[in-house]
Amino acid sequence: MRHRSLLEIPSGVQCFLGDEARLRREIERVAVEVFRGWSYEEIVLPLFDFDDVFTRGGGGSPADGVYRFIGRDGEVMALRADFTALVAKVVVSRLSRRELPLRLLYGGEVLRYQPPRAGRREELFQVGLELLGAGGVQADVEVILVAREALSKLGIDDAVFTLGHVGFALDLLAGVEDPEKRVAALEALRRRDRDGVRRIVGNASLDLTELSGGAEVLERARDAAGSGEALARLESIVSELGTLGLGGQIRLDLSEVRDFDYYTGLVFEIHAQGSGLELGGGGRYDSLLGRFGREMPAVGFYLSLDRVSELLVKRGLSSPERESSLAGSLNDALAARTRGERVRLVKP
Amino acid sequence: MTLTLALPTGRIFEETSALLQSRGVSLPPSVRAGRRLRIEAHPFTLVLAKDRDVPTYVEHGVADAGIVGVDVLSESRPDVFEPLDLGIGACRMVLARPASRPAGFFRDLSVVRVATKYPAVTTRFFHGRGIPVEVIPLAGSVELAPVLGLADCIVDLVQTGGTLAANGLEIDEVLFESTARLIVNRACFRLKTEALRGLVRRLEGDRAS
Repeated sequence: MRHRSLLEIPSGVQCFLGDEARLRREIERVAVEVFRGWSYEEIVLPLFDFDDVFTRGGGGSPADGVYRFIGRDGEVMALRADFTALVAKVVVSRLSRRELPLRLLYGGEVLRYQPPRAGRREELFQVGLELLGAGGVQADVEVILVAREALSKLGIDDAVFTLGHVGFALDLLAGVEDPEKRVAALEALRRRDRDGVRRIVGNASLDLTELSGGAEVLERARDAAGSGEALARLESIVSELGTLGLGGQIRLDLSEVRDFDYYTGLVFEIHAQGSGLELGGGGRYDSLLGRFGREMPAVGFYLSLDRVSELLVKRGLSSPERESSLAGSLNDALAARTRGERVRLVKP
Repeated sequence: MTLTLALPTGRIFEETSALLQSRGVSLPPSVRAGRRLRIEAHPFTLVLAKDRDVPTYVEHGVADAGIVGVDVLSESRPDVFEPLDLGIGACRMVLARPASRPAGFFRDLSVVRVATKYPAVTTRFFHGRGIPVEVIPLAGSVELAPVLGLADCIVDLVQTGGTLAANGLEIDEVLFESTARLIVNRACFRLKTEALRGLVRRLEGDRAS
């Protein structure tokens, strides 16, 4: 066996120091406070569970990156790869008697194996929430409002929410029956490969870049695809958000399908100037809870602690640590603490 | 809003700069001199990069968009948008074998040794067909490998096939056709939509439908 230094680290592990560690704690605190302000209740979820909670339950391509291990009884286990599937499981089992809608918040890390990629770490720190048992436009708008407030309290006032609806993409692909072609079409859509989508769908005038932009996109989409329900729903969401004064922060991108296969309606991504990577995102997943045994509409989102803290550092928004007052004796230190000061013992 | 555009300095550089010139983006002479790597060419900031670095810059968002061949994209599979096939830089990714061996001879080998600059593409291709492969990664002159007995065949990008023939190789199979694509950072697609749409319109020029 190769001799390995005790200092060597396996790929993917991280360690945060100094200001960065403090900033991350602060971001979590601010976000959770905002979530609680909207009556979301904290739930602490397990770090591992049976593998099929994330694969059969959570579904979608990220399941490929699940860290698996064999439990003591021989069952295949997995490290937490996604919060939403775990929330669904708890809601259907432990919280089944609670009155709906349920508002739950969580924070912590999820682990997914990823090949080295821009901003794609293996250990992802997230804070997020889920609004369960509410299927209306108001619920969709509520989670966007909460996300906006959290980012704003963190000093990011210019966050842009890019909205889409998976129903639009599904309508677009309705004529594509060959499953292989469907996968290829979805992949082309994900990459915004206009020519690729045109080839597969057989619609030469379809222009994905035209389906991304401001509110005028809805108009263009109706001409191009005439997709009724999805567009009508998006329109109500956008108009509601406009009434509430968020119009300037809302964009549309009808090609958005996101990575998880459990989304059924609204999907959104959050971006801000200065970050080339998404700060968070979410959407509606009305069929996920059914996989665990109880049909229930649901919508939620997450914020990436990693990306938000990077952006805050880049913008110089991380506030410095408080000054410590120096104490010469333990007595002085206790007195300073009683006054609520930050204290440092000179000679411990 | 200024867009930062990453341009590949390798194989498709000439065609890329010709395309940009024809679309009214004049490249200053300093681009050709090849010393300055970051150049203002209104309304763009141009960044000159190794072909394989273009997706990296775009994925991280230090460049909003870039131009790069499908060959490079297939190898590194970056998480970027690919809104436009530019149609330039056409060539083929091929599996080539010594002309002295019959087509598909490698299927009878217990392990095929394949020399290539595209290890990921090669592995995916062979494994996808259930054929065990030993990839021999090389940085250049891949055609030499079968001649020297380093590999049974090669996977490489071919424009005319001249180099293959000169080294006694012939095409066994075409993996895919490659052209240059416009790639765009995911965040840029959201935050600079109008500028980006302008870029797409400009680049597609008379190809517009």
